[in-house]
Amino acid sequence: CTVAPPRPAVPAAQAEAAQQAREAAVRAQADWHLEGRIAVANGRDGGSGRIEWTQQGSRYRIAVSAPVTRQSWRLTGDAAAARIEGLPGGPRESEDPAALLHETTGWPVPVEALAWWVRGARAPGEPAVIEFGPDGLPARIAQDGWTIAYVWPDGAAAPEFPARIEARRDPVRVRLAIDAARLGSAADTASAP
Amino acid sequence: GARDDLAAFTRGLKGLEGRFTQQVFDSRGKVKETASGTVALSAPRLFRWEYTKPYPQLILADGRKVWNYEPDLEQVTVRAQGPEEQNHPLSALIDPGRLDRQFTVQEEGARDGLEWLALTPKQGEDAGFRSARLGFARGQLGVLEIVDAAGQRTVIRFDGWKRNPAFAASRFRFAPPKGVDVIGEG
Repeated sequence: CTVAPPRPAVPAAQAEAAQQAREAAVRAQADWHLEGRIAVANGRDGGSGRIEWTQQGSRYRIAVSAPVTRQSWRLTGDAAAARIEGLPGGPRESEDPAALLHETTGWPVPVEALAWWVRGARAPGEPAVIEFGPDGLPARIAQDGWTIAYVWPDGAAAPEFPARIEARRDPVRVRLAIDAARLGSAADTASAP
Repeated sequence: GARDDLAAFTRGLKGLEGRFTQQVFDSRGKVKETASGTVALSAPRLFRWEYTKPYPQLILADGRKVWNYEPDLEQVTVRAQGPEEQNHPLSALIDPGRLDRQFTVQEEGARDGLEWLALTPKQGEDAGFRSARLGFARGQLGVLEIVDAAGQRTVIRFDGWKRNPAFAASRFRFAPPKGVDVIGEG
């Protein structure tokens, strides 16, 4: 078979400029929806499930459901407060979504930062180091002790969402496979599997 | 009615194997997800639920543990196989006596060409779903419908049922492949 000549790597300055543009677009368009699968490992603790995440500005709704019965828990909230329902013991509230999620499910997932990372952007307010791949897209972001590795859909010139990310901060690892995602309000979401 | 269909379908049933298609509807009735695969059950507690589309996932109860393997995420979650497995409506196929212990059962009559049994969990909310329905056609289980507390509806259609198949010993066994993270008490 003929092997296509490797495309020349995108120069770093151009990749950095593209990243600035991407992060500006992420800040400008804070409404999005994604569906996929999440797996969390924290030593022997953790779990996995089908995830639906709707973000509207700072308001979020994250539902993770089990296979077969699709029984789910839902984490909802905004910049000020978070609430989780669907778990034994009934709904619980807190100001900090990550702490609430960790306390009730044992999943140490950095919810607020992940909302940025999942769009290939650095979370605001924290120093971050970024490495670009030959395609000029982020290959790895290091921020707040986490390392986030990216797999982008192949062939997409300027994809809005990665196909897959893995965020790691020992001993915790969060893998997210994105099956469908779109910008804009959830109301007009395409629910194609 | 459906009660007789259930009795006929489960009489002398030690094992079962078939195909399923699952659709999940949100509380507004819009399809959120479509998936399909195969299911196998073997008395008294063996269970294999294998998604093949849109992506592979295996849920297997080997009598002692329940394994949930997601190849794309390279992760296996395992937990002890406890009583909660038994409140799954499908377990009533292998042990119909359990149905009346676990659920309040009502005949709902015919609809969409199926005879229906409505199941309300006696455990109330802890069962994890608000209600379930079993739909029978030609004396066979055709549909399992589950409505959860948030009003989400899961409809699972079955076909190609094989009764008391000769299962290979490995059918209800699972060993995590190398390089996969295993979560939970193995």
